[in-house]
Amino acid sequence: MGNEVMSVLKKDYIYNLMLKGKRADGRAFDEIRDIDLRTNVIDKAEGSAWIKLGGTELLVGIKLQVGSPFPDSEGEGVIITSMELNPIASPDFEAGPPKEDAIEMARVTDRGIRESGAIDLSKLCITEGEEVWIVFIDIHVLNNEGNIQDAASLAAIAALMTTTIPGEREGRGEDMPMPIRDMPVSVSLVDIGGEVMVDPDLDEEAVCDSRLTIVSNQDGSISGMQKSGDGALNDEKLLKAVSLACKKASELRETHLLNI
Amino acid sequence: MEREIVIPGQFLSDNKNDSGPGTYVKDGKVYSLLYGVKNAKNKISVIPFSGKYIPSPRDYVIGTVIEITPSNWIFDIGSPYDGLLHVSEYPRRVEQDKMAELMDFGSSALLRVKDVNSSMKVELTMKERGLRALKVGRVIEVTPAKVPRIIGHGGSMVSMLKKETDCDIFVGQNGRIWIRGKDGKMDLLTEAIKLIMKHSHTSGLTDRISQFLENGIDVVSEKDETVLENDLAEDTEDESEIQEDTYRKVDALLDDDN
Amino acid sequence: MSDKPEKFIDENGLRLDGRRIDEIRPMKMEIGVLSRADGSCYLEWGKNKVLAAVYGPRELHPRRLQKADSVLIRYRYNMAAFSVEDRIRPGPSRRSTEISKVSREAFEPVVLTHLYPGAVIDVFAEVLQADAGTRTAAINAASVALADAGIPMKGLISACAVGKVDGQLVLDLNKPEDNYGDADIPMALTSDGEITLLQMDGDVTQEEFKKAIEMCKEGCRQILEIQKETLKNKFTKLDEVDISDEDEDVDISTIVESTLEPSEDEETEDQDEGSDEYQDDGSAEEDENEDDSVSEDEEEDNEDDLIEDSEESIKRIDEDDPDDEEDDA
Repeated sequence: MGNEVMSVLKKDYIYNLMLKGKRADGRAFDEIRDIDLRTNVIDKAEGSAWIKLGGTELLVGIKLQVGSPFPDSEGEGVIITSMELNPIASPDFEAGPPKEDAIEMARVTDRGIRESGAIDLSKLCITEGEEVWIVFIDIHVLNNEGNIQDAASLAAIAALMTTTIPGEREGRGEDMPMPIRDMPVSVSLVDIGGEVMVDPDLDEEAVCDSRLTIVSNQDGSISGMQKSGDGALNDEKLLKAVSLACKKASELRETHLLNI
Repeated sequence: MEREIVIPGQFLSDNKNDSGPGTYVKDGKVYSLLYGVKNAKNKISVIPFSGKYIPSPRDYVIGTVIEITPSNWIFDIGSPYDGLLHVSEYPRRVEQDKMAELMDFGSSALLRVKDVNSSMKVELTMKERGLRALKVGRVIEVTPAKVPRIIGHGGSMVSMLKKETDCDIFVGQNGRIWIRGKDGKMDLLTEAIKLIMKHSHTSGLTDRISQFLENGIDVVSEKDETVLENDLAEDTEDESEIQEDTYRKVDALLDDDN
Repeated sequence: MSDKPEKFIDENGLRLDGRRIDEIRPMKMEIGVLSRADGSCYLEWGKNKVLAAVYGPRELHPRRLQKADSVLIRYRYNMAAFSVEDRIRPGPSRRSTEISKVSREAFEPVVLTHLYPGAVIDVFAEVLQADAGTRTAAINAASVALADAGIPMKGLISACAVGKVDGQLVLDLNKPEDNYGDADIPMALTSDGEITLLQMDGDVTQEEFKKAIEMCKEGCRQILEIQKETLKNKFTKLDEVDISDEDEDVDISTIVESTLEPSEDEETEDQDEGSDEYQDDGSAEEDENEDDSVSEDEEEDNEDDLIEDSEESIKRIDEDDPDDEEDDA
């Protein structure tokens, strides 16, 4: 059950493929799996997106509530991002409060959106110091075939772009679209035996030495990064990865976000 | 021969004597226990479309070592129940401290189920001809219920696969298939096995798979095109090239980007 | 939120959403939608969107939870945070815990639990969008997911609610009827019409309750048809459903054995299970020399356990089934 122990034969297989410049599913190292992204799939949410990245599937729902601002940013709305690695999504996931993986991925998604300034938080202020809009980004993972991170952040920004702030329902003025200013997109890469490849599938995630996520914006700037896994990276490899990630992010934005 | 898809609880016969595997009798009538295909040869049985491998004595299986205790290798055999291979069931004498040298975590092996007791303790053996640790080749996983399809009538499918691909193939009854051959051939064989899984319920499969292997043309799918309703997302390649990125420090300020 | 409507049923006997009092909302299902699960089903029922998946039977880890003589069934009903108007905190609530319990018990009478002692079958039902009747929607999806996972069951479970609005019983409550109605009676039924889940809140007479059961049975009968169709349609897309002659009562072990011999077996001509022509080709074995001793061990027991192996696990089913009065002719 599960992937607690991966068979050596499989590891060898993936490693040997890598040496030949190949991947198990035939992709190039810089090739992202097929993406199916649909927005407005949940009527009850203020914004939503369903994504299928290869076999990885998840739903992002955006809910808005009126609440208090943080004391250090009284004129700004609040973003709260959570991820549930539901046991429905993988034999390896267990019910219970989010564990470190889920928290890490939720926080990386959150930082990408926050630090890029993708949402103009000042426009989410209702009464300074008293009432602001709280934006809940809930990531509900349904099927894990690897790289939940990139699926989550692409679906999150797509869901935000389709979000309507329910002013009327909450008695706070008129409905308005979410004030979106940028489209941060995350691209994750793994290092397997010295080669770097984007959008790891499940097996690649399991055998990789380390993993790097880079969130970049429309102008090519970077708004979030995360290295995880027990391997180490040198700066040459890192810079190469960053440049590749930004290029792929731009492609993803072009194909999947600009038409929303 | 009558064949039909049935579901759990479906009425199959008025004659309780017709009750075969995958069925049950209630009030003298026979019903299906499973979602699968009804087989009305002799008795009525239902062959499920899916289901976990449940070990039975004398089954051949492929396992992966998940734990080593002082006297047993514990194997994941793709079942709710792990299998135990006692050192004494290894083909030759093994010192306890040498166990991991022969088979360590993640090692795969061809094994046979020696015994299963009522609480589902599964004992394995490697003391038979051909059983061994696997150091090379690949293991492919399929639904255990479909193993008969990989083997084919009287072994026809597996023989054909061997012949066409020049690979060694060992089909474990737990749905794991070990293959070994040239890389390109193993790739082709893996594709063929995937096709068999996808079209396992159709007829004349051996011939169509054979054609696939000879011509590399997926005649199998052409025939049942409807199965291939793939969500063909648009290719994301080469939409645009962007200029070299300017690396910027990630600023803690929320509004750094406009 | 919306206020209570003045009338739930108009002069033509139609409800707010245009249904008759004994009509269920449109329902559609799809099976095998999740690649990681052993069985899965996506269901839309009215505006409800539910995804159910089954994992198992699988190993149950804290050993103390294991039942020595049967499989443990676990059922987890869970609502996505964004599935309702007001966001709900992720994770279990008292409500979801209760629903999970009674839903599990709805399935326990039909699943053949004694076949997998010590193991667990996990059923997960995720409510992605909620619009009245989510527990029954989840059960309908879970039932099909269990079948899809190949779990042996005496029959499918179908579930539906009856409620009371404007003094009249109505089948399959919609959101306003659920919020403002006078009663809500969710039930789950076996295909024989036995009740495996029953809850009720509100106010009905005994006479009304009797009628409610009848209405519910009729609703569940319709749902069962949709469940059946969903399962059967998975394959009728292909014009043929014919496993043909490939899974006869052959002895799989024997055939497997014939493939086993060798890595020494460079002879690919051996077509038949009977073929015993193997050539010793030691060179192919280079990387496996420590296994050489294996092939020297010649203790084949060749008495053929015909007819057994492939269907052994299912055979056990009917041997163990208490209802099985099979009499070997």
